[in-house]
Amino acid sequence: MSLGTAQDANAPSVAEANELLDKIVLKQLHLMEEKMRCELNIESSIKNGSIHLAKSRYIMGQSAVSTARLPTESSADFSASTVCETVEEDGIKQIKVIENDAENTVNPLRWFGVLVPQNMHKAQNIFQNTINFIVECVNVQVQLQTNLKYIGMLRQYINSVN
Amino acid sequence: MALHAAVKGKLISVIGDEDTCVGFLLGGIGEINKNRHPNFMVVDKNTPVSEIEECFKRFIKRDDIDIILINQNIAEMIRHVIDSHIAPVPAVLEIPSKDHPYDASKDSILRRAKGMFNPEDLVR
Repeated sequence: MSLGTAQDANAPSVAEANELLDKIVLKQLHLMEEKMRCELNIESSIKNGSIHLAKSRYIMGQSAVSTARLPTESSADFSASTVCETVEEDGIKQIKVIENDAENTVNPLRWFGVLVPQNMHKAQNIFQNTINFIVECVNVQVQLQTNLKYIGMLRQYINSVN
Repeated sequence: MALHAAVKGKLISVIGDEDTCVGFLLGGIGEINKNRHPNFMVVDKNTPVSEIEECFKRFIKRDDIDIILINQNIAEMIRHVIDSHIAPVPAVLEIPSKDHPYDASKDSILRRAKGMFNPEDLVR
């Protein structure tokens, strides 16, 4: 987006620039609201998932669902089963969740045992769903950042014309 | 859209408390790459702030990471580092944890967005 200088024949007038600034600021307010809504979705989702983790912990024992079960730097390498990719739709970059088709993915449930309680499966489903909320929130955040940049540029332009 | 099907997806990394890490790793975002570098970090009450800071900086430098999730209470500890990261990629998302509800007034991005509504800026 090149704004040019005030001397350019095609440069937008101050009124036009102000109108554009108004539109972007209004959009920014909507995006801020959207971001907070997404964060609240994430929050309730994490709380739900945590309850199921706690129930599994109650059934399997305190240390059975803990960081001690997570892989460490000394364990064998493996790939993430859920990854994200950036796609461009209508000129807007969007991040999307995709399943990784690499061969060395693992089922994380296996870290916690062969026969894990039903709650563990439920927790897994909930956290997989949370990842969708996360990506939705990140997309809003990226738009917020882009708009911030535009607002800064427009303000600079309006100041330079005035 | 099928053109970039061959492009390998980017990772989602997480810096969080025990339940956040266990949960999201259960969701399938965890990875340990060939160099044995994990894309997650579990923070407990004994973890030094310098270690969190170092890990965050390491994740930012990695080009296979697109999203960094960090619990908001942990983000508070390294706020200066998070505030100085303004590039859109990797996106740093502050998430609530089960013990610390989301507080919009602490979020780096929302604070920056709100900053433009300063009365001083509007007068200019």
